[in-house]
Amino acid sequence: MNNKLLSGIGVIALAIAAFYFATAGKDYQALKKQLKVSYILHNPDKPLPEFSLLDHNRQLFDNARLKEGWSLLLFMYTHCPDICPTELFDMSRLKDIMEEDKTANMPSVVAITFDALRDTPEVMKEYITHFDKDFIGVSGDQAQIDRLIKPFGAYYERVVYDEKSKPVILKASDELPKGALEKGYIINHTAWIYLINPKGEIFAGFPSPHKPSAMAQDIKLLMHY
Amino acid sequence: MFNKTKKLVLATTTLITLNSAIAMEHHHMNQTIAEKVMINNPWVRSAPPNTPMLGAFMEIHNNSNQAVKLLSADSKGYKRLELHKTQYEDGMMKMVKQDFMPIPAHGKLTLKPGSWHIMLIAPESVPREGDTVMIDLVFDNGLSKTVHAPVRKAKKMMGNHHHMMH
Repeated sequence: MNNKLLSGIGVIALAIAAFYFATAGKDYQALKKQLKVSYILHNPDKPLPEFSLLDHNRQLFDNARLKEGWSLLLFMYTHCPDICPTELFDMSRLKDIMEEDKTANMPSVVAITFDALRDTPEVMKEYITHFDKDFIGVSGDQAQIDRLIKPFGAYYERVVYDEKSKPVILKASDELPKGALEKGYIINHTAWIYLINPKGEIFAGFPSPHKPSAMAQDIKLLMHY
Repeated sequence: MFNKTKKLVLATTTLITLNSAIAMEHHHMNQTIAEKVMINNPWVRSAPPNTPMLGAFMEIHNNSNQAVKLLSADSKGYKRLELHKTQYEDGMMKMVKQDFMPIPAHGKLTLKPGSWHIMLIAPESVPREGDTVMIDLVFDNGLSKTVHAPVRKAKKMMGNHHHMMH
């Protein structure tokens, strides 16, 4: 009798779970069709790894900081001549658009450096707040940054030039050769912008190039879902 | 003997004439290219006060019958200038250093964010919005030009047409 009851409850629980799973899946399908410049990346089974970094005021920036509300997160570096300033400028334009729209709420913008060696919190503060005083620059331990970028599907490589001006590609794990810091190096990197939900989970991603007005529409749909 | 001298004089005269004709032609060609390469809308993107890099953008028009190459750029107050192109490759945005920028005959090359650009490396002091950066451009055939590029956000240039940025 007890066993039957238990298995009965089990079956009902399964049915409810299946129902929710199916509806959630269906709704994402409906949502996906409406999105113009973004992709849903939500996978609650794969939370972000625990991380502990520093914001541009040298305050702790960890998983909890991504649970204070919606965030737009991007990875960049300040020696970037083209893509990163374009992305940050696009984010400031997006903020203008979202703030003009009374039905929208602008997520906080978090810029995490690929290049903790050169981008200290102080460097990040001056650089990031130039685009908007509310943007948050994040730096810290390079190994933690390298671990954090993985679930985003983000990656990078550093490029140094040898004596013959030939480019030499260095992976994240490779050490910089002597003199590279003085001579300078550039970083090739992925350039998506990610929407993080208030549970601190990756929710959606925006590949480059970024169109602020189209992004605003998608963000509203994603946040109101 | 006389004949030989006559021949030699004739040959020398011919050579000199030919030589100066070529030189004149060469000079003429340079002048033509100088007039037919035009730079429009140069600008330097304003950047944070601690930026180690700036980007310069412009349209280079070539109204001549020959392709022209931009070989180098220089500006006072920077460690060096480099010619670059942003390229999407292996899922990454890559800055690829270029030996030159090609401007096709009767065509133009547009330097813009996310594409061809001139990289201004390690400024002694970062120019502010409203400042002007003087950039010397050296093309092949010895042609050189100086452009005055105002520093501004992309915003002003784009107006409402945000797609111009991309």
